[in-house]
Amino acid sequence: MAWKMDNPLYCLADEEEARKALELWESEKPGGLWEGNNRLPYPLTWLIALIILTAFMITMPIWGQRPTAELYAPMVELMDSPEVQKLATGPEKIAYLTERAMEVHRNAEDSRLPGLLDRHPISWEDLQLAAPGIREIVAGGGGTYGPESYNVIGDQVVLANFSGSWRPDGKRERVQPWWDKGYTIDVFYVSYFIIAMVIVCKRLPHFSQKPDMSKAS
Amino acid sequence: MLFKYLTAKNEDIPPGTATIYFGFSSILWFIIGTGLGSFNAAKLAFPDFVTGTELFAFGHMRQVHVLAVILGWISMAFAMTMMYMTPALGNTRLWSEKLGVWTAFLWNVGLSLGLFLLWLGFTSGREYSDLIWPIDLVVVFGVLLPLGINVWMTIAQRKTQGIYITNWFFGACIFMVIIVFLVGNSAELFNLTGLTEGYLTFWFAHNVLGLWITPVAAAIAYYTIPKLSGNPLYSHRIGHLHFWAIIAFYSTPASHHLLSAPLPEWLKSFASVEGVLILIPAVAFVANILLTIKGRWSMFVENIETKFSITGVLLAIPLNMQGGFQQTRAINWYVHGTGWIVAHAHLALLGMSSFLEIAAVYFGLQQMLKRKLYSLALANFHYWFVIIGFCIYWISMTIAGLIQGGGKIYEVPYIDVVIAEHPYMIARWIGGTMVFTGNVVWLYNMYMTAREGTVVPKGRYAHELAYER
Repeated sequence: MAWKMDNPLYCLADEEEARKALELWESEKPGGLWEGNNRLPYPLTWLIALIILTAFMITMPIWGQRPTAELYAPMVELMDSPEVQKLATGPEKIAYLTERAMEVHRNAEDSRLPGLLDRHPISWEDLQLAAPGIREIVAGGGGTYGPESYNVIGDQVVLANFSGSWRPDGKRERVQPWWDKGYTIDVFYVSYFIIAMVIVCKRLPHFSQKPDMSKAS
Repeated sequence: MLFKYLTAKNEDIPPGTATIYFGFSSILWFIIGTGLGSFNAAKLAFPDFVTGTELFAFGHMRQVHVLAVILGWISMAFAMTMMYMTPALGNTRLWSEKLGVWTAFLWNVGLSLGLFLLWLGFTSGREYSDLIWPIDLVVVFGVLLPLGINVWMTIAQRKTQGIYITNWFFGACIFMVIIVFLVGNSAELFNLTGLTEGYLTFWFAHNVLGLWITPVAAAIAYYTIPKLSGNPLYSHRIGHLHFWAIIAFYSTPASHHLLSAPLPEWLKSFASVEGVLILIPAVAFVANILLTIKGRWSMFVENIETKFSITGVLLAIPLNMQGGFQQTRAINWYVHGTGWIVAHAHLALLGMSSFLEIAAVYFGLQQMLKRKLYSLALANFHYWFVIIGFCIYWISMTIAGLIQGGGKIYEVPYIDVVIAEHPYMIARWIGGTMVFTGNVVWLYNMYMTAREGTVVPKGRYAHELAYER
């Protein structure tokens, strides 16, 4: 197990180790088969890099964010106002309310809210059904959890089922994050894998050294 | 005839006996499995087909089909290939031919018993791990462990210093599938319920696919393609990438099957990323094999084993593209619980995996029987019936799944979705029946090969000889 560290991305085995490996390679044909020492073609190396990038990009929680009580709270607050009452139809009312809510969310600290409302439009009928639950939560009915921790599912307003970090009061965070510890674990896991694979592959003789299989028995 | 070897001394049993026993058993189970599949599909296409007895109800029959295919056809074909590839790759003999014959015997008896009980309604009630726990223990200690001992000991007593990539997979996958069986079925053994049971059920289902059915099939291709083509395996180092990427990325994403369940979100996030990363071993495998066959593509047309093998390798591309992306939150909400998933499962088991195994069973049986395949015409009939039947099945179920997904999301009345799907259910039945028909022809062809196939001279391979009929 002689290591050579001067050019780790070329080969991690010293000349003697690489020579022995090639000799073994050339001396036996398991089951009459033999193996080449070719590298992963360049385009495929990039393809694998693209796969890793895609794996994170396509699964980001942004695509699975659920509507919260916080998202519709400005709409609920305004739904009984004279401006809304004077509008004749449900679609008109909800278009007006969405516009007002969007203004509130654009100025909010949480930059996710406008995009989230875009992806989770609500009908006037559904808003009417969910409104009592949202009002209760906004009024403090959720105890130590605010409206941002409650999901709106049909006419139900329920505490989100995320298991976030522990809070000082011994309860868990329920706000769906942009990034969660699953991704953090993945970053480390993938990094360890890449490092391990580089070591495994670079311990082999460099791919420019081709075994001469005419010597094999 | 094979039964006489159960009581014979190990040294009196001809090499290849266990291979032949497993080979014919696997084909027979393939016929049983696909026959049951065809029957079940007929029940979905024609709801009045065979009614009046609960034993033939879909709920009794479906899981018998699934497990006949997984544990009968696919796993026995794996055992068959291990019985001849493992010693061949170590330039040695199988550690114990007698243990191999006994394993094949116990496997057939245990599986018949297990499936019969399942058919009667003795079930754990969990998808894929439907067998009751005493049968699970028979599978582990009567089947997988003896198979593993034979393979591990054969590798240990090899005459080569290096271990060829196929044997890495064989040795590791048997070890892993034993763990998967013991842990995955622990829900029943220890009366675990609720979310824990749900998670373990799909931990089992995912890993049986990911650590047994697909990697062992890939390992087979690492033997058959270089062997048939005469080319060296393109790259030993890409083999490392494939092997370790399977271990790292296929063992971890089980919870992506349960994205709608109240599992911790971070676990689903972790699993979803890992699920896409399954494309890494897939890219490594497909690239390694397609670069190995380079310069010998004519064999894809001329040689029946290569035809099956390369078809299986090519099917790994859509399989992993689907698998990698359908499990993301963005897509899964639409296709979850629909026929799309059924189509995907068949792409894995009947498509990629089965085609690779069929090639290996063709090749191995000819080698061990020392006879040339009886009829190339029948083999081609088999190929075309299986590939066309499979494509009809896969495409029709994919379309049916998209219709179901649309119906689910837009809250279309269920009966309207059922009516919209009906043509695709008929297509599914036609496709499945074609596969079954092809397999019946295959069994006849292999039976005739054993009886009347041209004798292969010592030192030659069957595929090197010209056909006589």
